[in-house]
Amino acid sequence: MNKRDAAMKKLQAAKFALLEWHLYLDTHPEDLEAIAAYKRLEAKYNVLLGEFEEQYGAVNWLSAPGVAWFKSPWPWDSEVCD
Amino acid sequence: MFSYDKMLQYPVRIKNPNPKYAQIIASQYGGPDGELGASLRYLSQRFSMPYPELKGLLTDVGTEELGHLEMIGTIMFQLTRNLSYDEIKRSGFDTYFVDHTTGVYPTAASGFPYTAASMQSKGDLIADLTEDLAAEQKARVTYDNILRLVDDPDVREPIKFLREREIVHFQRFGEGLRLATERLDSKNFYVCNPGFDDNCGCACAQ
Repeated sequence: MNKRDAAMKKLQAAKFALLEWHLYLDTHPEDLEAIAAYKRLEAKYNVLLGEFEEQYGAVNWLSAPGVAWFKSPWPWDSEVCD
Repeated sequence: MFSYDKMLQYPVRIKNPNPKYAQIIASQYGGPDGELGASLRYLSQRFSMPYPELKGLLTDVGTEELGHLEMIGTIMFQLTRNLSYDEIKRSGFDTYFVDHTTGVYPTAASGFPYTAASMQSKGDLIADLTEDLAAEQKARVTYDNILRLVDDPDVREPIKFLREREIVHFQRFGEGLRLATERLDSKNFYVCNPGFDDNCGCACAQ
């Protein structure tokens, strides 16, 4: 696994954890422990996202338009061009 | 991946329910030139689209169409609140009501359920982008026809917004087709398919 894929895997894991808590909170909206866990993970995710985008280009469409957006490969492309 | 923003692209606030209008506008939810087909078409075509700016175009337009699907669903929902049995029967909405009550379901106004048979993902950039140009025009005509039949300004305003987006998308797809052909063999655009053949232009990010 190359460095980018390894960093992406961390980002995917962090986002998946957020999504899983979000889903849980749909049916347990007042679970304060879950809300606290969500907030901790959200902070961690934001740090990871910032680091990833700085190194490898935009993930979120709002982060960069135009040429900067095209720098990063599309997720379905298996080969990464230099 | 996709994530959701809890907001409409353009506001929808309909004061007066009208089941007849809902039945007509349903076609832009699940009809042959509707927003569901539009988003599936573009989001599916992306995978075989070779150039980064065209993948970007299909991603952005396909995603926006999902927002339009939500607007049409909102219009249908707001048009079918607090209906009496008499209104349902008189308006002709009864044939929809019997199967779906006032649930939002992807169907053409004729009652034909949503089908992917009205769209294509051909795996060839010229064929796909040309289909996309036609699709935007067909959707534009559907909105024009809705505007011929609907008087309520609360309904017309969001429909007019959606109609304008079809024209903008048509313009962008036209530019996309131009960008595509500029990268192909100027003597014969059809000599190879960069979405399938090797050595037919670089499929990688520039």
